[in-house]
Amino acid sequence: MLRLPKFRLEEPTTVEGATALMAEHGEDAMVVAGGTDLWPNMKHGLFEPKVVVSLKRVEAMRGITVDEDGSLRIGATTTLAEMAQSAPVQASAPALAQAASLVAGPQLRTMGTAGGNVMLDTRCQWYNQTHFWRKSLGYCLKKDGTVCHVVAGGRKCVAAASNDTAPTLMSLGATLAFASADGIREVPVGELWKADGIWNKKAERSEILTEIRVPKQAAGHRGAYGKLRDRGSIDYPLFGCAVRMDLGEDGAVAGADLVCVALVARPLRIKRVEELLVGKTPGTEAFDSAVQEVADLAYAQAKPMDNIPGDAEYRRELVPVYVRRTLQAAARGEGPVHHV
Amino acid sequence: MAARDIHGIEAPWTEFKVVGKSHRKIDGMAKATGEAVYADDIQLPGMLHAKTLRSPHAHAKIVSIDTSKAEALPGVHAVITGKDMPIQYGVIPWTPDETALAVDKVRFIGDEVAAVAAIDEDTANAALELIEVVYEELHAYMDPRESLERDEPQIHPNRKNNNVSKHVELEFGDVDGARKASDVVVEGHYEFHGSTHTAIEPHCAVAKVSPEGVLTIWSATQISHYVHRALARVLEWEPQKIRVIQPCIGGAFGGKSDPFSLEFCVAKLSQLTGRPVKMLWTREEVFYAHRGRHPMSLDYTTSATKDGKITGVDAKILIDGGSYSSFGLVTTYYSGQLLTGPYDFPSYRYDSTRVFTNKPPCGPKRGHGSVQPRFAFECQLDEVAEKLGMDPIEIRRKNFHGEHTKTVNGQRITSSGFMECLDKVEKGSGWTERRGKLPFGRGLGVAGSMYISGTNYPIYPNEMPQAGIQLKVDRSGLVTVFSGANDIGQGSNSVVRYIVAEELGMDAADVRVIAADSDLCPVDLGAYSSRVTFMVGNATIDAARKLRKKIVTALAEKWEVPEARVRLIEGRAIDLEDTERSIPSREAFEIAEARFDTLGSTGAYNTPTLGGDYRGGTIGASPAYSFTAHIVEVDVDEETGRITVPKVWCAHDCGRALNPRLVAGQIEGSVYMGIAETLLEDHKVNRFGLHSGPSLLDYRIPTAIDTPEIEAYIVESLDPEGPYGAKEAGEGPLHSAIPALANAVYDAVGIRLRELPFTPAKVLKALREKREQESKAGGAAAAMDRHLGTH
Amino acid sequence: MRVLTLDVNGDRLETAAPDHWTLLEVLRYKLGLTGSKQGCDKGDCGACTVLVDGKPVLACLTLAAEAVGSKVTTIEGLRPAHLEGGGTGVDPVQDAFDRCGALQCGFCQPGMMLTARALLNENPNPDRTEIQKALSGNLCRCTGYTQILEAVETAIAESTESEPPRPAWTQDHPHVREDAL
Repeated sequence: MLRLPKFRLEEPTTVEGATALMAEHGEDAMVVAGGTDLWPNMKHGLFEPKVVVSLKRVEAMRGITVDEDGSLRIGATTTLAEMAQSAPVQASAPALAQAASLVAGPQLRTMGTAGGNVMLDTRCQWYNQTHFWRKSLGYCLKKDGTVCHVVAGGRKCVAAASNDTAPTLMSLGATLAFASADGIREVPVGELWKADGIWNKKAERSEILTEIRVPKQAAGHRGAYGKLRDRGSIDYPLFGCAVRMDLGEDGAVAGADLVCVALVARPLRIKRVEELLVGKTPGTEAFDSAVQEVADLAYAQAKPMDNIPGDAEYRRELVPVYVRRTLQAAARGEGPVHHV
Repeated sequence: MAARDIHGIEAPWTEFKVVGKSHRKIDGMAKATGEAVYADDIQLPGMLHAKTLRSPHAHAKIVSIDTSKAEALPGVHAVITGKDMPIQYGVIPWTPDETALAVDKVRFIGDEVAAVAAIDEDTANAALELIEVVYEELHAYMDPRESLERDEPQIHPNRKNNNVSKHVELEFGDVDGARKASDVVVEGHYEFHGSTHTAIEPHCAVAKVSPEGVLTIWSATQISHYVHRALARVLEWEPQKIRVIQPCIGGAFGGKSDPFSLEFCVAKLSQLTGRPVKMLWTREEVFYAHRGRHPMSLDYTTSATKDGKITGVDAKILIDGGSYSSFGLVTTYYSGQLLTGPYDFPSYRYDSTRVFTNKPPCGPKRGHGSVQPRFAFECQLDEVAEKLGMDPIEIRRKNFHGEHTKTVNGQRITSSGFMECLDKVEKGSGWTERRGKLPFGRGLGVAGSMYISGTNYPIYPNEMPQAGIQLKVDRSGLVTVFSGANDIGQGSNSVVRYIVAEELGMDAADVRVIAADSDLCPVDLGAYSSRVTFMVGNATIDAARKLRKKIVTALAEKWEVPEARVRLIEGRAIDLEDTERSIPSREAFEIAEARFDTLGSTGAYNTPTLGGDYRGGTIGASPAYSFTAHIVEVDVDEETGRITVPKVWCAHDCGRALNPRLVAGQIEGSVYMGIAETLLEDHKVNRFGLHSGPSLLDYRIPTAIDTPEIEAYIVESLDPEGPYGAKEAGEGPLHSAIPALANAVYDAVGIRLRELPFTPAKVLKALREKREQESKAGGAAAAMDRHLGTH
Repeated sequence: MRVLTLDVNGDRLETAAPDHWTLLEVLRYKLGLTGSKQGCDKGDCGACTVLVDGKPVLACLTLAAEAVGSKVTTIEGLRPAHLEGGGTGVDPVQDAFDRCGALQCGFCQPGMMLTARALLNENPNPDRTEIQKALSGNLCRCTGYTQILEAVETAIAESTESEPPRPAWTQDHPHVREDAL
């Protein structure tokens, strides 16, 4: 059996206990919540922390509450299954519920957490492999090596952000609360990312994501998530896109956003989406042609690479298709866009 | 005496009491409750855990191996390398080119180099890191075309024909003449990719060596007997000092047919350490062990008359064998030999070449060697029908070769229910009403196929039975069957139980089966080539009838009635003319034991002499052939290129269905596997010679939600040779799923896909090309219109 | 190494294991509960599925230490729980899997049956799509899932006293509903 490397497990019961452990052990420690990302990565020899701090027994980090102002507070160790099935999430942030419902397979959603999906390590076909495999390859830029096998001569790791919920949270304008020994700091999720596949987050590895806050959306909020993958379950996205579409009282688009994932190291917001869609009313020809323009924009801006498994050319070809279908689904109040 | 001479298709008495019904499996409850013991469930006192060091190079000479640091690691008990077991072996005795661990050179990334036994897996893994191997890299062959053309370096040195593993060229009738005289000719190039078995249980073996020098090995193998022979050869032990036991096995599909490195390693390590040793491969290692579907490049030409009669088939096939021979000799023959039904070929030629490459070795996967040519040919038959404006089912009916006939390459055909198979899928799918009337993007496709029920080629030449059974009758009322056969989940032990219960008129629950333990059971050649139900079934009938004879004789004597009046039925022995006279089986056994002494019997089966009178003519010569027809419905999303299969109708002629539910399970599993390798699976090696994704995440096998609805139909053309008329069901129903899907795609969107797998990217490309051609043609037509308009 | 007190199939069991041992390794190699299988090493196949507090999770990606304080149910626990609940034989899901031919090699099925049991506990009458989705994290290589779906539907039919599924091949075979053994 593929074995986990040896480590010591710590199981704090409070956020303060967890941050103290992270401060104490510094770079020797890593946090784990659901373990659906970290344990396979550790079995692959990608991380060898001496201490693993499990957040499973931190009761305060779990659960979904609705604030008086209508915003959602999602504890970071709330499972993806809970988030997908949560009535408040389905009602006020449908795209988030949809995205959570399409992460991996049923058991992994029961184990995997809301925070874990945000903090998911980037993925690459040259990286998510066993130590034997990577050693035979001669390693890669992201781990133990100096060469990028995706971009010839590439100096910057281009492993792909592959978290289904991240683009959704960006489209919803969510903020993240990070705890450390220094206290709590809040980060708008859109500002979390950097274009570095080795570590694509502007956060210390020792910081603990404790809570996700989704602000109350506009009255006419619509949202949908579209996910391309080979199988109807288990697989990571080959491409994902999250749509926010706020309809005004007149039924026309008042605000919109489109964020894509499984392309490069960070989730990618497509530019100029709102200006193309605002004022267009779903069901009209003007709306349909605006949607097509957005799809073309996405095609121009989103350029899948040979980082994750799957034909990059094909993935690119599917960008406008999934973008268009997801925009239309959002307009109809439907979704997710997924082949099964 | 071979059982084939004795019994036929009928029930032992007027009607079947057990056979033909959907009974539970003999091991079902053990599996349902988690009690069933698989290889990795075995824990022995003091057991060590072994791990394998593998080559990081696709092709390299081994300059030196230093194991001293690994041996010095606390907890390590033994380290072995190729020099500890240098004798070559191979499942085919003519091509022994494997060693338990690499000697002198490695031939693919993942090839086994050394093995360590330690107190636990963590220690064994740590020891592997301490073994120092110096390699000298060699040019690695990734493209079979290069292997064909280039001489140096040779992957297996000192072979006469460089990197060619096997070449077969055979012609029956006059193919070129037939082509000249034909009205329609279809030519095409087809690419069939590699796929692998992906049994959910990884390979595992446990060995112990007693102080007296008896090796006992438990292995997840589907062919215990060849493991036994290979162990004796490589370890240089007398075979009677080796006991091979196959515990419950977690799927095989051909992937556990070869003797594997781990079996030799645990035996050797146990011998060296005096302790039991287990080796469990990781999922990644299973991908390196492979032995899966051979990639083939196929050039086919089919010629026909204008009324749709096939006149000739001409095939040239290049087979990528990977790094070792495995079953490759047979694969090469099967790529040609098994295509000659269910249709009549007046002429046929095939030229198949298997070459070595520096990739994981290919071998037998469900439908060994014949799935690839079937794809090419059934697609061509569809094209012939289209050219002639014939219905694709009609052209298949038109060319049916009939029953009790001979194929162009000399194979004897007995029963065939192929026409009924076509009828069933035609009716079930609503073909007549629906085909051609579905919206664009939706389509139906049909294909047919034929497969063997074992063959008369026993892999190593011998005159002994291919299958053996022993029965022991206990005065408690229990009958124990000792079967050499490997039950790999298909239910062979269950079938043995049903047959004994039928013949001895017993409650089936009172028949127990002990199987695949070489100390206890007679030899059976193993679970491959769809031979088990056919051959072991016949052997079981043979043994049971001998025993029944004794019991009936004893009762007739005791009751002073003619034997014809004695019947064993439903757990009792009765006098047919005096119904008051009725005793439980147990008492009948006591009477027979008193009369004949301790009761037992043996039964055996061997095939009749079969096959064409030419070199290789016995390969693929089966005592009976199964037949299949598929209709596949597809839904092609023009924008995404994704092919969805909402439903598959598959009718399979398995002869008599000894247990219809188990037959349906084999049909459904075959259909699933065929569709899976058509659409999703791809056993790829990347530009570095590394398997592109050796995991169940990256090698994508369908989940419950990706699998089409499957409507299985059982066709029973009772075969004079089979046990009660039964034939095979485990492999045939895979074949035509693939071309039926390809033909359905053509029906749906008008593209002929000739390169597997049918990824969405390929579909989009083909659709684009079609549109370009149409617009060119449309443009030309418009130009023509304009041209005409000016006059 | 730490001493773990685990609640497995209703038994409180003490065992000791290093921190990096998974629940699967402890169940199989420390507690001898080998019904939970290992197929892929790392969360891709579902063969190691066990119920933790009634929910299907992957034992290969759960540390044994993390299961302390939860109720773990393995395949070995279904029959005793069924008997304790006043039933006879085995759990209806196990019985239906056996009867419907869902157990070919049987290797993936402990995980599959536990997932099915959890589904029916939560939703006693799911439709086919719901069953497929619920089982879509458990890979099977033998059955093409067909007889698995039939088994789950048979178990549902029995509990809801409705008609069990009648696949096409049974139309020609009058003996399929007979279960003599």
